Amino acid sequence: MPVMTFLEAIRSAMHDAMAADDRIIVLGEDVAVRGGVFLATEGLLARFGERRVIDMPIAECAIVGVAIGAAIHGLLPIAEIQFADYIYPAIDQILNEAARLRYRSNGDWSCPIVVRAPFGAGIHGALYHSQSVERLFTSTPGIKVVIPSTPADAKGLLIAAIHDPDPVIFFEHKQLYRSVRGEVPEGIYHEPIGKAVVRRSGADMSVFSYGLMVHYALTAAEQLAAEGIDAEVIDLRTLAPLDRAAILASVEKTGRALIVHEDVLTGGIGGEIAAIIAEHAFEYLDAPVRRLASPDLFAAPFADPLEDHFMLNPQKIAAAMRDLARY
Amino acid sequence: MEEAHEVPPHIRLGLSRQRLISGLRTMIASRETDDRLWLLNRQGRAHFVVTPAGHEATQLGCAWAIRVGHDYVVPYYRDMTLVMALGQSILDILLHAMARRDDPSSGGRQMFGHFSSRRLRIVSGSSSVGSHLVHVAGIALAFRVKGEQDIAVMGLFGEGATAEGAWHEGLTVAGIYQLPAVFVCENNQYAISVPVNKEVPVPNVATKAAGYGMHGVVVDGNDVFAVYEAAHQAMERARNGGGPTLLECKTYRLRPHTSADDDRRYRKSEEVEAWRARDPIKRFEHYLVEHGIITHDEIEAMRREVRAEVDAATDAALAAPWPSIESIADHVYG
Ligand SMILES: Cc1ncc(C[n+]2csc(CCOP(=O)(O)OP(=O)(O)O)c2C)c(N)n1
Ligand SMILES: [Mg+2]
Repeated sequence: MPVMTFLEAIRSAMHDAMAADDRIIVLGEDVAVRGGVFLATEGLLARFGERRVIDMPIAECAIVGVAIGAAIHGLLPIAEIQFADYIYPAIDQILNEAARLRYRSNGDWSCPIVVRAPFGAGIHGALYHSQSVERLFTSTPGIKVVIPSTPADAKGLLIAAIHDPDPVIFFEHKQLYRSVRGEVPEGIYHEPIGKAVVRRSGADMSVFSYGLMVHYALTAAEQLAAEGIDAEVIDLRTLAPLDRAAILASVEKTGRALIVHEDVLTGGIGGEIAAIIAEHAFEYLDAPVRRLASPDLFAAPFADPLEDHFMLNPQKIAAAMRDLARY
Repeated sequence: MEEAHEVPPHIRLGLSRQRLISGLRTMIASRETDDRLWLLNRQGRAHFVVTPAGHEATQLGCAWAIRVGHDYVVPYYRDMTLVMALGQSILDILLHAMARRDDPSSGGRQMFGHFSSRRLRIVSGSSSVGSHLVHVAGIALAFRVKGEQDIAVMGLFGEGATAEGAWHEGLTVAGIYQLPAVFVCENNQYAISVPVNKEVPVPNVATKAAGYGMHGVVVDGNDVFAVYEAAHQAMERARNGGGPTLLECKTYRLRPHTSADDDRRYRKSEEVEAWRARDPIKRFEHYLVEHGIITHDEIEAMRREVRAEVDAATDAALAAPWPSIESIADHVYG
């Protein structure tokens, strides 16, 4: 199996899916000639031509809205928002249009689009190039929210998203693009949307996370293993719909739960997961459910010490895990 | 009216007698259905009405320019006459207004005025003003991607929508890629209460076309022939690769914005009366009688027939089943 970076896996997903199905198009700012500002779409223009790889003006509402229109006439568009921080002008299109088209037409129309957006801090992106915005999309039905953490998942989940009959918001952590490598199957395959995976099996506590934080949680879990604490690390992969069964099964086994995400604490998905556990697994708990998230601020500030303070890291996660184990 | 020596527009435009008469029937059916909906609203049996009254010539002229089930149409809430001309029946409209299970537009989910039919290629919209013009650009882009020629999409909206960002973005993309799209502005001079000079910074919406690299055309929206001629030309140009058009139809709504509005708060009754005298349906009837296409008696017989159909459809819609409670969460995901 070839070894790829996370970024190469994303590119490979689009490439292989597009080669197999000419209904798939890519549109966004700088996606064609330049191959995207992160080079996620590099090579697609040369391979598939300007009909299918389309440079768009700086108009996020149109990037998503045009994708919706193209889907209405039978295409499978992949819309790229250059940075998740700029998805706000497209929110009306995502939540009021894409999410609701099937429901409001009683199943007559549908909207099989993918909206890809790089997100996340730790790359000196400051207030407008490092936001985590997933919480804005996880409480509206009709859309799915996917956040992969490994190259193999990035490819399999992105292809599944492209083939999914409904709109999928696909967030890619910028720090993973070049820092993570892994074996990635060749050709077309699906990783299931809506299914979490156990990245590290353990008996003493469950750590729920997604995206870059999964890697940090795994590093922290190894540190704790040396201290005799055996943590289970669950990669949620999909935030909407959440894999409730996997969450509950893990907590029922370990009796302790920590949710870790880079999105802010208030309104982040951790609150929902905590509520699910409290409602359905209360009698299994040996400790209160804990959340570790970014502070309730806008994003990581530019100044190095402020960015470092804002960001979670393996040490902070390990500390939270120790604290939970001691309860 | 045209000069005596000119060829009458319906002949010049090649509109058959049959087409003219069915067009008149659509206009009358639309007005009679609208009348009934307001009555049902006053009786507490229809929660909400949004009227096309006054816009009938604009909408019929546009409908004539569409190849039904082939070209796409992305309407807005005011377009009842349009969708009736495209094939939605009086009963379809009443089922939608009464939110019944068999409402073809939404199965009783959307408030009245959100017309949709995949079969007729009428695209479902939200209530969010202007949000659908980006979809128009996307549908037109899909024709291009698929290599389909001889097809176009028409999107319709009020002049108030032209202030929205989504409107601007849709026209920007259509202009950049010279897409096969026609943008029709039904300029009735008010966005609820706000007059056009506080919605649009130039006297004609069509002037904005220049900024999007598209053709801009202004017509008398109460003249069904003028609308049809311009809409047909625009659709043909789009189908033949000649790029998009912004077509502005100047008209007036003869009733309050919706059943929740009181238009006496913002416009004078003399103004409304002056426009009532220019009622596009009366104008079309007059033309058809004058040109020997139909007689007054035949029109009256037609109106009686339509009324009977509205009566029957009202009874049928009122007796029609509600959507089942069990269906409330259907079609959230596919
Ligand atoms: C985005 C948005 N803002 C506000 C409204 C409330 N609203 C509904 S119709 C309307 C006026 C629209 O006027 P215009 O576009 O001229 O269309 P008309 O109703 O006159 O046909 C407003 C403000 C809405 N539906 N959507
Ligand atoms: Mg108006």
